[in-house]
Amino acid sequence: MNRDESIVSDFACWAVAAVFVFGLAVLAVRLKEVQIEDAADYGYANVRQSVRRVQTDGDRGRIIDRNGVVLADNRRSISIVCNAAFFQKRTWEATAAAICAALSNAAETVGAPSPLTVRDIRRHINQSLAMPLVAWRDIGDERLARFCENERELPGFSVLESEERFYPQGSLAAHLIGYVGRDRGESEAGDEKFNFYLPEMRGRSGLEIYYDSFLRGVSGERKVLVDARGFAMREWTVVEPKRGPDLRISLDSRIQRCAEEQLRGMKGACAVVDPRNGDVLALVSSPGFDPNEFVPRLSYKLYSRYAGDPAKPLLNRASGGAYAPGSTFKPITALAGLENGFSAGERYYCNGAFILGAMHLRCASRWGHGPLDMRHALRESCNPYFCNLAVTVGSNAVIRAARAFGLGCKTGIDLGVDMAGTVPDGSWKMRMYGERWYPGDLPQMAIGQGMLLASPLQMALVAGAIGTGRLVVPRLKLDIGVRSERLPFSGRSLDVVREGMRMVVDGGTGRRGGEGIAVAVSGKTGTAEVGRGENRRKNAWFIAYAPSENPTAAVAMVVENGQSGGVTAAPRVRNVLAAMFGEKEAAEDGRR
Amino acid sequence: MKRLRHFNWLMFAAMIALIAVGTAAIWSAGSARSETVFHGMWINNLVTAAFGLAVYLVLSFTDYRKLLDCFAVPSYAVSIALLAAVLIFGDTVYGGKRWLWFFQPSEISKICLIMLVSWLFGTPVDYSPVKKTAGFFGAWRFTFRGFALAAAVIGVPALLILAEPDLGTTLTLVPATVVMLLVARVWRRGLVAMALAGAVGAAAVLGAVYEAEKPGVPPQRRESILKLVPLKPHQIRRVRVFLFPEEDLQGAGYNLRQAKISIGSGGFSGKGLGKGETNHLKYLPQAISMNDFIFCVYAEEMGFVGSLALLVLFGCLLVPGCYVAFVSTDGRGRLLALGVSTLVFAHVYINIAMSIGLVPITGLPLPFISSGRTFLMTVMAGLGLVQSVSVHREEKQNEPVRMV
Repeated sequence: MNRDESIVSDFACWAVAAVFVFGLAVLAVRLKEVQIEDAADYGYANVRQSVRRVQTDGDRGRIIDRNGVVLADNRRSISIVCNAAFFQKRTWEATAAAICAALSNAAETVGAPSPLTVRDIRRHINQSLAMPLVAWRDIGDERLARFCENERELPGFSVLESEERFYPQGSLAAHLIGYVGRDRGESEAGDEKFNFYLPEMRGRSGLEIYYDSFLRGVSGERKVLVDARGFAMREWTVVEPKRGPDLRISLDSRIQRCAEEQLRGMKGACAVVDPRNGDVLALVSSPGFDPNEFVPRLSYKLYSRYAGDPAKPLLNRASGGAYAPGSTFKPITALAGLENGFSAGERYYCNGAFILGAMHLRCASRWGHGPLDMRHALRESCNPYFCNLAVTVGSNAVIRAARAFGLGCKTGIDLGVDMAGTVPDGSWKMRMYGERWYPGDLPQMAIGQGMLLASPLQMALVAGAIGTGRLVVPRLKLDIGVRSERLPFSGRSLDVVREGMRMVVDGGTGRRGGEGIAVAVSGKTGTAEVGRGENRRKNAWFIAYAPSENPTAAVAMVVENGQSGGVTAAPRVRNVLAAMFGEKEAAEDGRR
Repeated sequence: MKRLRHFNWLMFAAMIALIAVGTAAIWSAGSARSETVFHGMWINNLVTAAFGLAVYLVLSFTDYRKLLDCFAVPSYAVSIALLAAVLIFGDTVYGGKRWLWFFQPSEISKICLIMLVSWLFGTPVDYSPVKKTAGFFGAWRFTFRGFALAAAVIGVPALLILAEPDLGTTLTLVPATVVMLLVARVWRRGLVAMALAGAVGAAAVLGAVYEAEKPGVPPQRRESILKLVPLKPHQIRRVRVFLFPEEDLQGAGYNLRQAKISIGSGGFSGKGLGKGETNHLKYLPQAISMNDFIFCVYAEEMGFVGSLALLVLFGCLLVPGCYVAFVSTDGRGRLLALGVSTLVFAHVYINIAMSIGLVPITGLPLPFISSGRTFLMTVMAGLGLVQSVSVHREEKQNEPVRMV
């Protein structure tokens, strides 16, 4: 072997080869570690950085009345959205400027300037870049057509369909149905499962809020693939959202509409209940509002207009108003008397006023009704009679009777607005006013004045309970079971009151409440005086049930600033009842 | 035909396969870029590869001995001139002056340097009886004086490249030339000592950076330690990322993190060609996804199977290189084959190892896979020379050596 060949030995060649193979083997081992053993971790890291999870909401269920009339529906809403990724520039500032320029360019085509400001765009870039930027929300058909015609010239913009709440009957039963708003959804459980929550329709009042979780669909999930800067590249649905179920309610939109017409232009409320099962057939509060104005969201301006209105159109007076029931309370006082030894036939001489110590309670009849038994006292709505009765049987008897009718307690209606009202007693008065229970409080309460407060819905239930002998829990959702309890009064006592209430309509103070209706109506008028001095006003009440023998409807109506129950409220109730039971035949009418 | 018999088909086939893989990877990496100019980059690569193939075949069937004797010194001189020119006239890209007109002289200089070293230390010893002392090709080359000569010829281009600055390329010169000097047994004792010293030095640098950057070190102490480390701030940052890969994931550690996510999320079988997510969604740094980080693009799309196949392909290129050296009886041929193979290996190893956190991040292309025309031409030319060593293994036309 000469020097020539030994410059590089054979061993060296193979040694170098061995180094190569060893080096490649080291790489292979490390690659196995990264690509096989840690593959799941890196795969997760990849998904975490590049996939955004979006919660999508299912369509909301409709609200349907007992006859199938749709009260709350969904309509297709078209928005024009801007895909920020299309306008991306090297810097965020330039991207925002590019979007801004594209928006003003597109505004000419669409025909309206975009409501978005540069700040909105910047906020979108910072917070929700992966989501489409809504440039024009809920556009009309004309603008949609103009956009579609020129869509090719507006790259980066597209049409997005969504569902929006829609109330086909307008302001009908607006207080009852309520309205929805959209929440910038946050996770309910506070977990971080999703990166984005699409603004979700949430009930804001009425049934929409009470049955929110029922009506709301099951939310779905979408995933958005984002690039390193956060722009959306691709998206797909993981879980399809599910539509919420329809809510069938006991309301009868025909009766509701009729009752609303009766109260149009006035402040007041009306409740119509089926006393057999508690079905709420109508629940009217006037003045009302159009919930469609509140969709997709209630603007601050509109809200302050409604909130600042002295007539309080957003208040649901029917179940959330607290009124002194006035003389409509007298049947309860009468029952308290009958159950505590007061005889129905015993006559009391009304001389026009009830005097107890320094208190002087006037009767509606200036010179007095003269001698009256209980039925006639109800018929004429005689104040001194019931004051005398109450003083005879005592506060506790009256309070117990009032509570037996559910006054002072929530009715249990499946609606968030459920005013308990007040049935005052000694401890309550001490708590609220720091005064003890004076003897004068009782006669006030006996005629439904003073501190006694009840909602029209409660009074409708009272009327129904007198008619059937059972107090029901009102219900709106149709498939709720019927809940009722027997009144703790004897049938004889109830019969006396029923007869009295029949006489009220049949020629008594409430005679206008039953005129010309195909069925017999029993009722009671009430004229509650509220306020003092210049603010002194009268709330006109009428409660009724019909048919008198086997009541299927109980009504209570209150009209604020009315003349009297018999003049203001009774004829309106009559019209509602006429709509339910029909007018009496002309011939029959003539015979009478 | 005799020549074709000695043509190393395995090496050739591996090269062609690697070019195909590289073209696909460049297509994928380029299509992810927003600049449309990169979408057609794979065509560029094919065209360059065609030119490279021509060069390869020409070199394969040219006797490398003649080539070395005639061109080793002139080509080296030209490469030095180009390296100097790039420092003066070069275009600045990504903070370094590396480009001259359309190519990178530093890439070409690698092969020129290997040719020169092969010629200098592989030419048989001239024991000419005519002269009393050995001539230029005397045995002095394998003593310290030879080492000094080697240090000079390596040092000049290395310093010029370092001045660009391109530490990565400089670093690949070291293993290639050191291996050549080692196998040629040039002042072996000193060389081994120096290699050991270099290893100790590297370990010291790593240790120092570790001491300075580990959590809980007061800033003053950190400053005083880092002052002793002979690296630039951005290089220290890379070493820190290498040592603490889980820190500063949005800043300095971002590239390595994304590289690992790319490779790791590819899993066993990959996501499919052109479907790499980190690449297409631009999480992988776009500026270098086609060059230094192209292995990540490839590994994500082809998975562990693909990575392993790539390693096997490189093995089919590198081991035959050593085999060619083994069957060659000529010192020049052996050095040339081993030198070029080591150069390719150094690139392969450092590039892949950096993207999986085995070595600090260094800007080096992956042979055949990265897009880079100059480097592709360089590597193909180098492999052409290796093929030439294989083809011309038994032809001893140029026989100036007389045996003693």
